[in-house]
Order: sequence, then structure tokens, then C-alpha cells
Amino acid sequence: MPVVRNGGRRDACPTTNSMETQTALPTEELLINMGPQHPSTHGVLRLVLTLDGERVVEAVPHIGYLHSSMEKIAEASTYQQYVPYADRYDYLNAMGNEFAYVRAVEKLCGIEVTPRCEYIRVIMAEMNRIASHLVYFGCLGLDSGAWTPFLYCFREREVVLQLFEDTSGQRLLYHYLRIGGLRNDLPAHFCDKLAEFLDYFPDRIKEYDDLLTYNVIFRNRLEGTGQLSQELCRRYSISGPNVRGSGIPYDVRRVVGYSIYPQLEFDIPTQEEGDAFARHLVRVEEMRQSVRILKQCLEKLPEGEINVKVPRKLKPVVGEVFERLESPRGELGCYLVSDGSEKPWRLHWRAPSFYNLQVLPELVRGAYVADIVIILGSIDIVLPDIDR
Amino acid sequence: MARAKKAITSTIAEAVVSIIKGHWVTLVNFWRPTVCERYPHKDKSLDYKPGPGYKGDFALITDKEKGRLRCIACQTCERSCPNGCIRVVPEGKGKERYPAEFYIDVGLCMNCGICVEVCPVDALTMTPDYECSVHDPRDLVRNIEQLTERGLEFDEVSRVK
Repeated sequence: MPVVRNGGRRDACPTTNSMETQTALPTEELLINMGPQHPSTHGVLRLVLTLDGERVVEAVPHIGYLHSSMEKIAEASTYQQYVPYADRYDYLNAMGNEFAYVRAVEKLCGIEVTPRCEYIRVIMAEMNRIASHLVYFGCLGLDSGAWTPFLYCFREREVVLQLFEDTSGQRLLYHYLRIGGLRNDLPAHFCDKLAEFLDYFPDRIKEYDDLLTYNVIFRNRLEGTGQLSQELCRRYSISGPNVRGSGIPYDVRRVVGYSIYPQLEFDIPTQEEGDAFARHLVRVEEMRQSVRILKQCLEKLPEGEINVKVPRKLKPVVGEVFERLESPRGELGCYLVSDGSEKPWRLHWRAPSFYNLQVLPELVRGAYVADIVIILGSIDIVLPDIDR
Repeated sequence: MARAKKAITSTIAEAVVSIIKGHWVTLVNFWRPTVCERYPHKDKSLDYKPGPGYKGDFALITDKEKGRLRCIACQTCERSCPNGCIRVVPEGKGKERYPAEFYIDVGLCMNCGICVEVCPVDALTMTPDYECSVHDPRDLVRNIEQLTERGLEFDEVSRVK
């Protein structure tokens, strides 16, 4: 519901029921800080809110509290040394970030990786998508006051993280992908364990749906909250599940068709409504599609080498490259400029959370303060991804 | 595109069904096995053991036939570390070259494992030891004695099998 600004007077607010009694009392707009230490901002995001009673008139996100010079570090380290840093800014999608960076460097140097390596990379990226969406699902439950789904989601995520740990030796920041290959081949028990997980996981998603998604309290809270129109999506260059929740079937896996995705069968789930519940449904369906992709990958996984020979002193030709792929949060791009030396001259990340956050002031205008938490949870931001 | 409004009776019916379904899920999960562990067990053998290839604390491997460290103090690890948390002080020349001192600052390390990969003689390894916490931050700098002692139980670099 739009709020008309009229010198901050209460009588301008359409929510006031008995206007005659309240016109005599002049009121002021209230300026408050939400964050950076607010538990529902998913990190250290600061929102400066102008409030008219309970309604938001204006919201200005202030970012930069987690700035870690991720792009500047690249200029001081060699191409191989930067791979572990790529994990560290969107920590829920570490494999995807590595995938983007490694693909960019390979494109710059003209390196072709082996088919088995491509398959394993896609398996890792999709497993990471499942893990990331599980965190989203649990945290949206927490934001709306449901504690139990969070614990169930983390139980399933633990299985994925354990597989990552067995493969790469780390649970969150993997450094598993290398330029021209991988750190090591899959461990012996990996395929069986993953197949077992994929067998029971769709049933678990159904359980979560019964518990949270189709709960009437949760639905009433999300439906109609944070309406994101197609026009806004285009204006703010929104990507990922947010844009698909507004009915635009835009997925980089399909649009660009990088890696082995053109050989795999999967659907791009979309919803027409464009509210928080539509975005939620898209993410839940994406987990099912990831399961489908993983099953096909396990079936088709070829034998053979995983690494190709890459010189230890990697010196690409002078030039620039932009590589993009679909992260759980949207379109993730890596822009790399080489001056022919061992170190990148410039690296820039097109971070999906950064672009998705820009639309927040438009979404929360006229909403209740309590709805901000839901809207922020439903656009699924990761703060280091915004600040880099 | 906005959603259509529903009648109050159907909302109430939906609410009752959804709440019963939700309780059914929690009831089913009540009988599932517990997954959480109370981590520091009194009996240390019950603690979680990561598999081979885990990127934990560091160790220097001793060549048991020759009775000395495998490390030839070439300083490749020092140069390739992204954070610069390794320092090697070499001594001797040619084949007699050995590390007089070897420091790894575990507090600065980000466990990427590049140092282990670039080692030409497979002398450095990461072990499945994950309990790296100490009382004094200065103790986070591992010296050559600690690294050698930890490496005595390793004949080869710990790798994923």
C-alpha cells in the first residue's frame, strides 16, 4: 500500500482508520537504524529506515561493513594463489565461485579440461546449490519465527558438507578446483553416498513443505509481501530465483549453456506472482531440479584423467575475459584483465547479492517494519558477496 | 500478479490440515536417530576422525631410512603461500641443504594446501588433526620440533583415497 508523504502528518497515511480524530494530532516521521548488529539482516547490513508509524516510508541500505578487498588481493597474488580467496566472499556457494574464477582463467589461457573434470565440477556446483538453498530455507523459517525447519535443513546439509569434506578436506571453504583440473579425484565411497542421499532427499523436501511451506501462518505471512514486478526486475538487473519468482525464465545455465549443462535435462522453475512466497517456491523447486541434475551426472560420469598439464608459472596473453554462471543467488560473473604477467591486472566480480539488494528500498516502501525481515530473507543475500 | 482472496471457511480448513501435517512431521522426526554429538567426549577415541586428505594441522615428514627430514629447504612453499605464513631458514649447500628453522603461523594460514602441492619432495603434509586451539596466540606459530614430532606417524603425504 503506498504511503503519501505530506509533511509527515498522520492524516496522509491511508492506514489510519478514524481520520477525523487524528488530524488534530501532528506526527513526525521517525528515523531509525536497523543493523548492522541486527540478527535478521543475515550479517552486517545497516538499513536506515524512515518510518511513518509502523509503515516504512524510505529505506536506505548502507553496505561495506564486511569489505575485505577481495578484488584488490587478486592484483597482488598469482592466478593459482587467488583460487582459495574466491571461496571466501560468497561462503555459501564456495564451489560455484571457484568454478567461475577457474573458468575465467581457463578461457583466458585457452585451457581445455577433461570431460570427467567437467562432470565433477558440475556435481560440486549443484551439491553446493542444494546446501545453499537449505540454509536459505532454514533462515527464512527463523526470520518468520519457525525454529524447527532450520534444524532439519542443517541435518540434511550436514550430509552434503560431509561429502565435501571427504573430497576436498574442508567443510566450507574448499579450494578443490584448480586451474586445469581438480585437487584430487573423488574418494571411493563418494558416488554411493551421494546416490543414497539423492534417493531420500526429495522425500525430505516434501517433509519441509508440509512443515513450513504449506503452513497457513507462514503462507499468510509471505503471500503478497515484497511484490517484485517484472519491470523492477529489468530496471535493477535482478537475477537468479528472484527474477524467476516474477515469471521471467532467466537462468544462465540455460541462456549461456556453459560446461556440460546443455547435455543435461532440467527445468527452469518459475512462478508468476512475484511475491516472497513465489520466490520461496522457486527455490524449493530448484533443489528438486538439482537432484535431477546430480542423478544424471552420476549416471553419465565418465572415467579418465581429471587434470591437464598447466605450467606452474601461468602467464596468459594480454587480454580480458568475462565469464558468468548461475550461482544459487543469481548471475555470478568474473571479469579478468591480464597484462601478460603472472598476476591479474584487474579482477571484478559481478556479485548477484549486490544487485539483488539494490531493489530492497523499492520492495519495502509502504510495508511494515516486520515485513522487512521477511523480504530481506526472501531475496537471499550473503553479506560478504555484497561487500567483497 | 496478485493472488486471489480465499473464503474464510476454506482458510480455516487449510489451517487445521496444515497444522496437523506439521505436527506429524515433527512426530516422525522425533523417532529418527539423533545426529548431533556432544563433541569433546571424555573418551578421546569417540571423537570425530576426519578421513585422509583432510586439511588440518601441518607436519614435516621424516625420511626413516636416512634418519633426517625430507625437506631440502628449497623455500618453494614459502614463496607460493598466498598469505605468507611460512618461513624457512635454510642451512648447508647442495645436497646437504636442510631447514635449520621452519615456522608456520597457523593463525594466519587459510588451509588452502598450496604449500603441500608445490613441494617437490613431498616433505610437507597436512594432517587430520583439527584441534589447533591454544591458550597463547604466540603458540599458534608452529616450529620445526612440533612439525617433526607430528610427522613421525606419517610415511607419505595424507591424500584422499
